[in-house]
Amino acid sequence: MRIYEMTAGDIASKVRRKELSATECMEEIAERIGRVEPFVGAFLHLNLDEAMRQARAIDNLPSGERERLPLAGVPVAVKDNMATQTMPTTAASKILEGFVAPYDATVVSRLRHAGAVIVGKTNMDEFAMGSSTEHSAYQLTRNPWDQDRVPGGSSGGSAAAVAAQMVPVALGSDTGGSIRQPASYCGVTGFKPTYGRVSRYGLIAFASSLDQIGPLARNVDDASLIYEVIAGYDPLDASSLRVEKALPKATDVSWANVRIGVPKQYGSSGLDAGVQARLAEVISRLESQGASVVEVSLPHTEYAIAAYYLVAPAEASSNLSRFDGVRYGYRAPGADLLEMYENTRAQGFGEEVKRRILLGTHALSAGYYDAYYLKAQKIRTLIRQDFEQAFAAVDVILTPTTPDLAFRFGEKSQDPLQMYLSDVYTVTANLAGIPAISTPAGLAGGLPVGMQWLGPIMGEESLLHIARGFEKLWPSEGWPALGGDA
Amino acid sequence: MALSEEQVKHVARLARLRLETGDIAQVTRDLGRVLDYMTQLNAVDTENVEPTMHVIGLAMPLREDRVEPSLTAEAALKNAPDPRDNMFGVPRIMDGGDS
Repeated sequence: MRIYEMTAGDIASKVRRKELSATECMEEIAERIGRVEPFVGAFLHLNLDEAMRQARAIDNLPSGERERLPLAGVPVAVKDNMATQTMPTTAASKILEGFVAPYDATVVSRLRHAGAVIVGKTNMDEFAMGSSTEHSAYQLTRNPWDQDRVPGGSSGGSAAAVAAQMVPVALGSDTGGSIRQPASYCGVTGFKPTYGRVSRYGLIAFASSLDQIGPLARNVDDASLIYEVIAGYDPLDASSLRVEKALPKATDVSWANVRIGVPKQYGSSGLDAGVQARLAEVISRLESQGASVVEVSLPHTEYAIAAYYLVAPAEASSNLSRFDGVRYGYRAPGADLLEMYENTRAQGFGEEVKRRILLGTHALSAGYYDAYYLKAQKIRTLIRQDFEQAFAAVDVILTPTTPDLAFRFGEKSQDPLQMYLSDVYTVTANLAGIPAISTPAGLAGGLPVGMQWLGPIMGEESLLHIARGFEKLWPSEGWPALGGDA
Repeated sequence: MALSEEQVKHVARLARLRLETGDIAQVTRDLGRVLDYMTQLNAVDTENVEPTMHVIGLAMPLREDRVEPSLTAEAALKNAPDPRDNMFGVPRIMDGGDS
């Protein structure tokens, strides 16, 4: 097995035992990135010299210290909306071109302290607004399974980097599905923990009541390993949970004791026939293992997209007011301060970001707040209650992650509403704050299909356990061939 | 609940975003379509429903009012477009000048 094919868990355990040096690992990863990245375009910034320095530092640690590092020598990619001192942080926006943060995000410092090596920052939809990574101000990222198709988004670069085996694991952020949807399109595992589990300090805020950081990986164990390192209370994030995180049991899942809910509302319009067929196969395989699969009702799901596209843009319009050309980032000329603000923001933000700022500003403006923002927050309560009732009867809820498979470039980017509707299965987890994970369930017509597992609030332990059990039931069969791979 | 072009211009001003005259019609159409989609929320009775401002009912945590180390002025100004005299320089607030 080549080093780039290894899991994060294997790399870390070999580096801890000195069976593999972090330097050797990083050299092969650098070679892999050099060969494959031209076909994928996953990275906005790479700092391989710095990565080599970090790798050498890990190799030079006294063995007692190195042996304590849960991610010793593991190469990690980080989405470009998380602050890093050694590389720019642009959120794929022109308004932050060249910005180098004066501090590391909490997740980044936690990774570093765990022995991980940060190799680069990944492409994304500008400010995480989009489902295809086409809204990056800098470049397209190609789906490693089919280079004519999008990797999904907004964490498209992180998903593509993991699927192309340039890194074993990456960080993404998920406001309405931005970890799970690209994970599904790229055939990898993507995990959004409970709101508040992972510190948002140093994450460029999109919608603060919905944003959550999580891992993308090639298996559930690696996703759990990263989660274990990044989760936990952080005094620098006021919404950070003080509750102890629980990790999944190492035991096999006894499916006869698992109650799985399938929402009856999710099988309706817009669901791709291939995805629908795969869901049916997944259900029958679970049932053949003895799992009880029952229908659950989430009646307010049909309002989730409308509620989400009021709440998220409203919060974004407030969060993005900090980009005004004063303290950092791009500044356009203007005769006075107001003109400078208006020109800076008009030139610095892309079309989708502007659209959402306008939508959100309208939803919060005098005379409209009650009809839009407050109404949406009330719908959110109903969506939460739907889940609370459902989880009284089942352990986990199963849905497809997305209604469709990875689409071609340009197919949806001309129609904002069409793009929004593809988030139909993922936004409810953010609105309710619950944990959710997308795991691959094979290919359909050569493209990955993802299954989403939703758990009750703070129910990560059981959710990850079940997801790992499913992975054994439906193992991934290899990774896409790229850049001269045999 | 469609928007007028005048409303779009008003919202753009609130958001400190200059819209080119040629773009206003398109922006108005795009926002109008999205807002039309939102009207379905009116079908839901939310008369006695509390809004969810936060999914976890955390009380706002307090901390000691103590001076802690923070960014130096140099680090804070590192990315500034116009650092001046250890401060952030901006154009005039009143119109009619550039410094």
